[in-house]
Amino acid sequence: MKLTTKELTTCALLTALALALSYLENLFPLAAAIPLPGVKLGLANVVTLFALYALGPGQALLILTGRCLLGAVFAGNMNALIFSLLGGLSAMGAMIPLSRRRRLSVYGVSIGGAAAHSCGQVAAAVLTLGSRAPVGYLPVLLGVSLLTGTVTGLLAACLFRALGHTSLR
Amino acid sequence: MRRLLALAALALLLTACAAPAEQPVERQFLAMDTAMTFCVYGGENAAAEAEAEIRRLEGLLSRTAADSAVSRLNERSGQQVETGGELWRLLEAAAGYSDAAGGAFDVTIAPVMDAWGFTEETRQVPSPDLLAERLGQVGMERVRLAEDGVSVRLDPGTEVDLGGIAKGYAADCLRTIFREAGSPRGWVSLGGNVLAWGTRPDGDPWRVGVQDPRYPEQQRFVGALGLEDAFAVTSGGYQRYFEQNGVTYHHILDPATGFPAESGLVSVTVVAPAGEDAPARTPGNGAMCDAFSTALFVMGEERALEFWRNGGYDFQMVLVTADGRVVSTSGLEGIFTPEGESGYAYETVS
Amino acid sequence: MPMRRSPELRPTVWDGLVVLAVVLLAGGCLLAMSRAAGRASGGLTAVVTVDGREVDRFAPEELLEAPRIYENNGYTLEVRAGEAVSTPGGQPAGGARGIRVAHADCPTQDCVRTGTITRGGQSAVCLPARIIIRLEGGGTGGGPDIVIG
Repeated sequence: MKLTTKELTTCALLTALALALSYLENLFPLAAAIPLPGVKLGLANVVTLFALYALGPGQALLILTGRCLLGAVFAGNMNALIFSLLGGLSAMGAMIPLSRRRRLSVYGVSIGGAAAHSCGQVAAAVLTLGSRAPVGYLPVLLGVSLLTGTVTGLLAACLFRALGHTSLR
Repeated sequence: MRRLLALAALALLLTACAAPAEQPVERQFLAMDTAMTFCVYGGENAAAEAEAEIRRLEGLLSRTAADSAVSRLNERSGQQVETGGELWRLLEAAAGYSDAAGGAFDVTIAPVMDAWGFTEETRQVPSPDLLAERLGQVGMERVRLAEDGVSVRLDPGTEVDLGGIAKGYAADCLRTIFREAGSPRGWVSLGGNVLAWGTRPDGDPWRVGVQDPRYPEQQRFVGALGLEDAFAVTSGGYQRYFEQNGVTYHHILDPATGFPAESGLVSVTVVAPAGEDAPARTPGNGAMCDAFSTALFVMGEERALEFWRNGGYDFQMVLVTADGRVVSTSGLEGIFTPEGESGYAYETVS
Repeated sequence: MPMRRSPELRPTVWDGLVVLAVVLLAGGCLLAMSRAAGRASGGLTAVVTVDGREVDRFAPEELLEAPRIYENNGYTLEVRAGEAVSTPGGQPAGGARGIRVAHADCPTQDCVRTGTITRGGQSAVCLPARIIIRLEGGGTGGGPDIVIG
C-alpha cells in the first residue's frame, strides 16, 4: 500500500488516538457497571469506524493492527495480542462489508463490529485454551455488545457531525 | 483494555477449568454380602489395593465362605481354634463394644439371624421353641479369647457373625491403605459404612445425605453431614425387612429378645473421626461406628443418649425417632445440616 | 482529504436487522448451550454389571422404548425408565428421569425397593442375582456425594 505523507501522518495520529482511547477506557471501566470480565466499551472502535469511512478499509486495517501490536508491546503482554488481534480483525471483517451497505447507519455498522469483536475474542479464548467452554460466555458478550456498539456508534456519529466542516470530512 | 482482556482470559480459563480437573477412580462391586462403592482421588493404584483388601477381609471374615477363618472357627465350636491375630483382635474389639453397650451389640446373634432367615434369602418368623433354643447360644461370654492373642474357643453351638462390625473394620483397613497410597481425597461406602477422607475437590467437606427412613425408596434426607476425615454409619430397620401376616419384621435383632428391636428409633447414624494415628489392621473408629450404630438402635433414644454422654467413647450421632424427631448430638453442630422441608422436628442434645 | 464514503448518521430500520442478527446469534448460542447442558445432565449412562463383569451400558432414555431384562444366578430383573417422586429438597421432581428395577423375582426385593435412581453415582443392587445397575456421569447436581442409610 502506497501512502501519501498526509495519509501516513493521519494513520499514525489515529493509531496514537486509538491507543490513548483504549487506555482512557480503563479509567471508566464499564466492568464497574456490568461486572463481567471481557466487557468493555471499545472506544478504540470509534477510531476504526472513523478510519473505515474516512480513509477506507486498507488504512483502517493498518491502524487496527498498529494499535493491537503497540498495545500488546506497551502492556508487555503478548498473550493478549491474539485476543485483541482476533477481536479487532473480526470486527473489521464485519464492518467492512456492513459499511458498504448504504442503508445501514454508523449504528448498525458499529453494533455489527462490536458483536464480531466478541466472537473474535471468544474464538481466541477457544484457541488459546483448547477448550470449547468459553463459547458459553458468548451470549453474554453479544448482549453487552448491543449496548457498547450503540454507544460507540453514537460517539462516531457525533464525531462525523463535529468534523463535518473539516478537511477530514 | 489489556487488563480487561487479561481478566476475560482469566475468567474464560476458570470456566474452562471447572469442567475437567482431577478425576477420581470410581468402582462398585459386590463383596461381604453388600455393595461396595469407591470414589478415590489420586494415590497410585489405591482403589485396586483397596478392592484387594476388601477381598482379603471377605476371605477372612465371611461366614458364608467355607474356608474363611470365621467359618473354620464356627465349624469347630467347643474347640480351641487358632484364628490368627487379626480375627482375634476384631473379636476382642467386638467383645469390648458389646460389653460397653450392655449387650445391645452381639456378634453371637448369628444363629438367631439364621432362624429368621435374614442371612439367607427366605425370611420367616421363627417358632418360639427354635428361637429359645438359639437364644441359649447367644452371648459374648461364650466367645473365649485365649491369652495367646491368636486362639479362640466358642462354646458348643455358638457361632459368630461379624456382619455387624466387619464392614466398619474394613473401613478402618482402607483408611490405612488410602493414607499410605497418598490419596488426598475420596470416599468409600461399604454397604452403608462411609469413610470420607480429605475434602471435596472444591474444598468443601464431603456431603453425606442421611436417608429419610420414611421414604426409603426416594431421594429424601433427614439432613446432610459435612464430613472430612470421618467414618459414618447408619443403621435402620427400614433397610432390610420382610412382612408376614401383615406385620413388618426388620433385621436388627435385640440380642435380649431375639426379636427385631422395637426401641422407638427408626434410624441411628453414628459419626466418628478417622484419626491419623490408627495402627494398621487393628479395629478403630470404623469398627466402633459400625458396632454402635446397631447397638444404639437396639438401646433406644434414652439409653443411647446416656451411653453417648457417659460411655467413654468418642462419637456423635443422629437419631431419627418413630415419633418424627431428629435428635443430633452437640458435637455435630456445624456438621449436620437439617433438611429444610423434611417435616421432622430437630433437636440438638448435649 | 475527502471522505471516501459519507456514512448515514441516524439509525435506520436496517440497523434493526443487524441488532436482530446479533440477538439471533446470542439466542442460538444459548440454545446450543442448553442442549449441551441437557446432554451433560441427562448425560447419564447406566452401567450394568453381573458378577463383577460389565454386561451392558446404555443411556437411560433408551428404556423409554423398551425395558431391559437381565438374568443371573437364576433370577431375572426388569429395568424400566422411572420418574423420581421427589428431589432431595422434598419438592416434586417434575420429571427427574431415571431408571428403576420394575420387577425382580428375587426374594429380597431390595433392588425394587431402591426405587428410581436419577443421579450419577446412584445404583440399584440385587445381591441374590449379583447384579448392579449403576448410573454414571452427570455430576451430583448439588445433591449429596454419598447417601447413607
